[in-house]
Amino acid sequence: MRVIKLQIARRLVQMTALALLLAIPAVSRYGNYLAARELDQNIRKWDGTVQGRALKAMDATFRSLPKGEKERAGEKVRDRKAVLSYTQSLRGGPWSVQLAGLSMTDPLAGAESVVAGKKVARVLVISLIVPVLLTLVLGRVFCSWVCPMNLFLEITDRLRGVLKLLELPPLDIKFSRTTKYALLFTGLVLACIFATPVFGYIYPPAIISREAHDLVFGIFDGAEDGHFNAWMSGLTWMSLLILAIALFEVTLSRRWWCRYICPGGALYGLIGVARPARVVLKKEKCTRCAACVVVCPVGLNPMINRMGMDCDNCGLCISHCNDDALAYRLGRAKQRETVAGETSTGRSAS
Amino acid sequence: MVGVSAGGMTLGGMGTVAAEPCIRPPGALLEGDFLATCIRCGRCADACPNRCIVAFTEASGKDLAMRPGRGQLGTPVIFPRKQACMLCNGIPGEHLLCTASCPSGALQATRKDNDSIRAHVKMGTAEVDLNLCYSYNGASCGVCVRACPFEGLALKAGLWEKPMVDASACVGCGLCERACVRYPQAIHIRPRHQATRAETVVPERGQKE
Repeated sequence: MRVIKLQIARRLVQMTALALLLAIPAVSRYGNYLAARELDQNIRKWDGTVQGRALKAMDATFRSLPKGEKERAGEKVRDRKAVLSYTQSLRGGPWSVQLAGLSMTDPLAGAESVVAGKKVARVLVISLIVPVLLTLVLGRVFCSWVCPMNLFLEITDRLRGVLKLLELPPLDIKFSRTTKYALLFTGLVLACIFATPVFGYIYPPAIISREAHDLVFGIFDGAEDGHFNAWMSGLTWMSLLILAIALFEVTLSRRWWCRYICPGGALYGLIGVARPARVVLKKEKCTRCAACVVVCPVGLNPMINRMGMDCDNCGLCISHCNDDALAYRLGRAKQRETVAGETSTGRSAS
Repeated sequence: MVGVSAGGMTLGGMGTVAAEPCIRPPGALLEGDFLATCIRCGRCADACPNRCIVAFTEASGKDLAMRPGRGQLGTPVIFPRKQACMLCNGIPGEHLLCTASCPSGALQATRKDNDSIRAHVKMGTAEVDLNLCYSYNGASCGVCVRACPFEGLALKAGLWEKPMVDASACVGCGLCERACVRYPQAIHIRPRHQATRAETVVPERGQKE
């Protein structure tokens, strides 16, 4: 039961990240209209359309916050400055985000910025603190709990099951797991030589962040021009790259990107190499049914109890274990054998 | 995929085209350092209350015949002709919002009082084309002078509203270029890193203060 709750929590966090991905650019546009004193006019003009409803909903939300409204001549009106400062607390996407007072940047972005710029900015260090600390303790959890690309690929991964049902078994070409570390190293060297960050152009969370902004901005820009159905107009062909990766995974190699290629996952793995929170096996309970091996998104084998840098602590192996033999443990890898005899199911790493 | 624009990204942004001179947001590092440090996250564009900061792509620069050069793809840029920087005038907050939102230090946090702006912001320098400007050609205009946030310091009105730029006081916000009623614009911002010659435009003929 506890384990099912863990998966529900993981999905909730993923959905929140996905909602923020689209909400942040929308809030940004809302703030733009408010700053330009066009908001009320636009809400009136776009009444009944999706764009109008979105503005109205955001307006209602921000006005309901403390200080969102003030009295003027006996009437409740929007406190423009207070609402504007609220809108300022949401910015960016999974590549680098501002949530209220918390600034968080992908360590990959930080690493290549430092390597390319050859200096360390204080703001960058501040915005790396939370992601790096979380990764040090929990490992590669950005991948399994936040990354929108991982969520998308988890969903498309189900298509492989459909293909199998249709008796069209997809191929599963294996690559070397060290590919991603080699790519990470190569990219950082290139960034250093050319003094230009490179991963931002090919790293799916960064691409998705940009495309989400382009999509939402395109939708509002369309409304400004009187086109209310311009859903895809803002997207660029980088979206096709995302789809191409998904198609490749469905037909040729299961979870190819996350397992073998992703330089961001590689860096998260390296940072979390000595993480105290890991999945461990209680050998005497395990019946070698291999349910965990089938389900593992990164293609590890929890039965041989060697969950290294690649494990993203998603907990799917724990929830699919039929024998209650897998659990999260806090502690050094060496202690595995001594805790193996305990009956408790261990502490959740969430 | 109906409607997916080919609005292109050269893969990797490592185009062979030389860097295009363009206006960076306030508080930006010098172009080389800026290109190295900026992580292309777009937080400054989200933060800009005036929507003047956009990502430099082939699509966004197309109207002005500007293409992102080597390493410039996806970097924040201001096209003052489309939308200029209003230096966060009338917006709550102590800092220029884009500078406060930058996580990489590519935009250095800059307070938005006049002294800090004049001390630390240099996006470019306004330059008047004496052949195009109405005020220098028999008609009195003065729109740019009135648009200037540092009117009387950066942009002064001479006889018949002739605009005169003081390069040392001009921060390059581009509000003059945005306001110019002449097409093509008679006043435009020369990006900071393109500044190679003396920046002050001193009207020579028959012009005294």
